[in-house]
Amino acid sequence: MNTPYLHRLLVLALGCLAAAPALAGDPVVTDSRIITEERRLAILETKLASLQMQLRQLEDTKAIERLQQAYGHYVSAGRPADAAALFSDDPAASIEFGQQGVYLGRKRIEQFLTREGARLSPGEIRETPVYQGVVHIAADGQSAKGRWRSLVMGGVHGQDGRWTEGPYENQYIKEGGVWRIHRLHWYTTVSASYDRGWHKQPLPISGPLADLPPDRPPTQVYK
Amino acid sequence: MTRIPALKALLACLGLLTCSTAWTQAPAQPDLGPRLARAAARLDSISNGADRIGDYNTVRNLQQQWGYYVDKALWDEATDLFTDDGTIELGLNGVYVGKPAIRKYLYSLSGGKPGLLKGQLNNHFLRSPVITLSADGTQAKARWHDTIQDGIYGQFANWGAGVYENDYVKQGGLWKIAALHYYVRFHAPYEGGWTQATPASSRSYGKSTVKPTRAPSVSYEPWPSNFTAPVHFDNPARSDYRLLPAARTATAAATSKSVTELEAQVRALELKLDKLRTFEEVENLENTYGYYADKSMQDAISALFAENAWLEILGRGVFIGRDRAYEYMRRLGAPTYGTLFNHMQMQPVINVSTDGNTATIRSRLVVMHGVLDRTAQWGDGVYENVYVRENGVWKYQVLNAYQTFYTDYDKGWGKHSAGMFSPFAGYPPDMPQSVAYDPWPAPFIPPFSYRHPVTGK
Repeated sequence: MNTPYLHRLLVLALGCLAAAPALAGDPVVTDSRIITEERRLAILETKLASLQMQLRQLEDTKAIERLQQAYGHYVSAGRPADAAALFSDDPAASIEFGQQGVYLGRKRIEQFLTREGARLSPGEIRETPVYQGVVHIAADGQSAKGRWRSLVMGGVHGQDGRWTEGPYENQYIKEGGVWRIHRLHWYTTVSASYDRGWHKQPLPISGPLADLPPDRPPTQVYK
Repeated sequence: MTRIPALKALLACLGLLTCSTAWTQAPAQPDLGPRLARAAARLDSISNGADRIGDYNTVRNLQQQWGYYVDKALWDEATDLFTDDGTIELGLNGVYVGKPAIRKYLYSLSGGKPGLLKGQLNNHFLRSPVITLSADGTQAKARWHDTIQDGIYGQFANWGAGVYENDYVKQGGLWKIAALHYYVRFHAPYEGGWTQATPASSRSYGKSTVKPTRAPSVSYEPWPSNFTAPVHFDNPARSDYRLLPAARTATAAATSKSVTELEAQVRALELKLDKLRTFEEVENLENTYGYYADKSMQDAISALFAENAWLEILGRGVFIGRDRAYEYMRRLGAPTYGTLFNHMQMQPVINVSTDGNTATIRSRLVVMHGVLDRTAQWGDGVYENVYVRENGVWKYQVLNAYQTFYTDYDKGWGKHSAGMFSPFAGYPPDMPQSVAYDPWPAPFIPPFSYRHPVTGK
């Protein structure tokens, strides 16, 4: 008997077997090689566990989109306290803009946002739509990373306006079931005069604030 | 060697088959009832959660689709996104109630009929959604940023910005806009930009001779007043809001189901979740492309393309295959000191096919191009892209970028629009441009890959 023939017979036999429990009314065969109803249920339970994980990842992705977009709306609206509240309780939580250095912990983050990142003085504007998100959730569902960008319409009424643009490389953490920003790092690509444009009057990246020095120097030095 | 175990298996099977019919008394079966009920409940809960994600995606698509219709003054399509008793309020021009009033008002924004006026530009970038679904899953609210480029070629150009705070409702399984409210922050001539905005320029947005149904719902002054459009959501880090509603109480799903029934439901659920994951994966892919394109990373970009992909950008012609995509991108040149090549991706309307095997995105490209001391340009385009899975990984099957305009920064779109980009010198395409059109100010509507989300037309 050659092997292919044997295989065909085997398939035929297994086919009969699969029909057997149905014929008998109940899956009376408990041999582990037979797919019993219990076994099928066990497989189904495993699949459901996997689907539950997939759903959780999707929910996490949406929660992070909402968190990050809320940040942009709070900054645009000049609400630094609300923007700072989006950050983690962890003392290592941080914010870093351009070459302004790193601020650690929510209190310092709020000081920075109040002084620079999200405060609107009278007549000032900082329209900060956040978009182009690329979000990845860690396998354990407890942390995530996201790249985004903003093109900011800034300036003071009656003066020259300012374009600033660049990507964020952010990290998120789940605390008590709630997603928060653990690290927000915005890189400046463009800072330029509105009137003259980025080809004629690019502006230097702002350095550390003299009156509110950062906790750490910039993590990466660039122009 | 392979024959012996196979033969043994066969004999064992035949033996068991014979026995099974002979047994009259089956051994005690475990009672699967409680496990079946738990599995049914879990399946129901996951399916319910997946539907919430689907609702979120549909609402997000819906508002972004609105943006593409407004771009081209496709007012009938825009009106059909509303409920019959829907409302619209743009800027400080009052509230229009009901579809007939909405239609009439929108028509009035382009001379009394649908379609852009000659030389009219009406770009609306819909970005930054914060979407909040109601607990029962039938209503939603969302806040958006809208950035506007409008004007008439040869006459004027404006920048505009503001936020939407909109309401949506699910009727007969379809999400619709119940109330659309755009709060104008500023609307200002390109010359001088937003810092020269006046109350009159900002109030001009959405202005119409058609009388509104009622006065503005909120009285405010645009920027530089410190007014902020009311925010519908609680701070996400301090609120109990979750996308998932609280677990539903026992439902019909908990009634007993057979393993076979559950298996069929699990298969359907697997496809449903697979499509939702595809939505995320192709969005990541599209946005990643933009970051790579910023820096002309030809190795990274070409890896995003399927083996036989179709690449067509502006009037460069059609390039077939990943290798050709690589060469195309290589010709754009590595970034150097003083060059800017930002390829910003936004407003993706994502659709996944019924069988889950393909996906499409319509999205917006905004380019910031520049060479220090020499030139700067704004570029604007629309993508209609198609994605397929190649060895389990989503990739571009088609990348098709339609040119809206490229304009010199110093002049703006009111005064200048470059001609169609032509094929590279010395690197001819495999096929000529697939759709013949001229860039703005010529009227051209890039074909839509999807049907209208409400009418299905």
